[in-house]
Amino acid sequence: MSDWRIKQTGLFILLVFLQVVLLNKIHLFGCAVPLLYIYFILRFPVNVNRNIVLLLSAAMGLTLDLFGYTLGLNLLACTVVGFMRYYLLKLFAPKDLFASDEPSVRSFGKNLYFRYLSSMVLLHQIVLFSAESVSLLDPYRLFSRIIGSSILTIAILYAYENINFEGHRK
Amino acid sequence: MRNLFNFIVKNVHWLLFFLLIFFSVLLIVKNNQFQRSKFLSATQEMTGSIYSVSSSFQSYMNLNSANADLLKRVAELETELYTVKRTLELSSDSVQTENMKLDSATVFIYQFLPARVVNSTVLQEDNYLTIDKGSDDGIEEDMGVISENGIVGVIMKTSPHFSIVIPILNSKFKLSCKVRYNNYIGPLVWDGKDSQYTYLTELPRHVDFAAGDTIVTSGYSAVFPEGLPVGSIVSFLKQRDDNYTSLKVRLFTNFNTLRNVLIIKNKYQKEQRRLQETINQ
Repeated sequence: MSDWRIKQTGLFILLVFLQVVLLNKIHLFGCAVPLLYIYFILRFPVNVNRNIVLLLSAAMGLTLDLFGYTLGLNLLACTVVGFMRYYLLKLFAPKDLFASDEPSVRSFGKNLYFRYLSSMVLLHQIVLFSAESVSLLDPYRLFSRIIGSSILTIAILYAYENINFEGHRK
Repeated sequence: MRNLFNFIVKNVHWLLFFLLIFFSVLLIVKNNQFQRSKFLSATQEMTGSIYSVSSSFQSYMNLNSANADLLKRVAELETELYTVKRTLELSSDSVQTENMKLDSATVFIYQFLPARVVNSTVLQEDNYLTIDKGSDDGIEEDMGVISENGIVGVIMKTSPHFSIVIPILNSKFKLSCKVRYNNYIGPLVWDGKDSQYTYLTELPRHVDFAAGDTIVTSGYSAVFPEGLPVGSIVSFLKQRDDNYTSLKVRLFTNFNTLRNVLIIKNKYQKEQRRLQETINQ
């Protein structure tokens, strides 16, 4: 039972560290930033209470805000994603899933997992970048940042999931 | 009553959701340059020390270019020193030296303290830098920060060992600058896009400016002395809707590789500000 808690705690620390020290400094083509910390929210087992998921997602957002000195932005985005996760899971999770499974390529299948992943990431980036650019509205730039970052983040996470899946199969 | 209670328990996630949304919007709205949350200064010591560890690894990579810059700067200072010495020698020979002696107080209005950048962002629309000197080293809010090439920003918040700098690359930061050639003054504003360019705005429309001219600080704010280099003009665009010209400015400071900075301490900054505030009251 406490298994997922330990896993998630480790994931939390690892992702915050990676994001703060390395990933926040990457800026491909002037628009794409890999925001991998959302993997923490993606990874909760399906049957974890949705209030707990929401609160822990918010904690993730707040931690990143403290490191990035952007109070509130990541908190807002993570709250929205943590809340919507329940509905997206309802939409994409296969019916024959074990309740204690984590969403992954193994438990979802490639197609469904890709849809789940990309809708979560897209939602996250739309909220994040829209909130960030309220003061300086430039639709073209906003659009390119959302699309660029989403593609990069989805590509990395999807590739990681597939490598993980192949590794388990052997 | 029981039904109401059941309803709330059933929908507690909605309540939680709106509470968190409210809290985050509150943080975003309240979080401007002057009223930063108390929150940040408490955690700043911790995040700062983590950043200083990671930057001590990174600083090895930039040692070559940092050394080259320092050597160049040493050479420049050496030349300056020589010229000044020479002037002093010449003047000490002549008879009228009594009048020419500089008041020692005016010479030391500005002091410079070296510091190291431990964390920086250049990719967001509101960027911040963290440096490894804080209130224990005599750093206070509103002190200017420069690099060996040009100006960097202003100290926004201090803790005992770290300070946060709000750089030119922040949409909330405005600095009064002027064109060196003809002394026209306007606010320097960043548009949030490219970390190499910024804009000098609100210049009169009838004046022509030449690409390549240097932009320097105006010295109005008592944060920076007059005449520190900021950048050079790349192009100018006349805005259609109003009577002002904006200049696109290439910054001299490269924020992507920024590591060593100097903090400017102005002895009379408080005095000047107090005097200016008395007018507004």
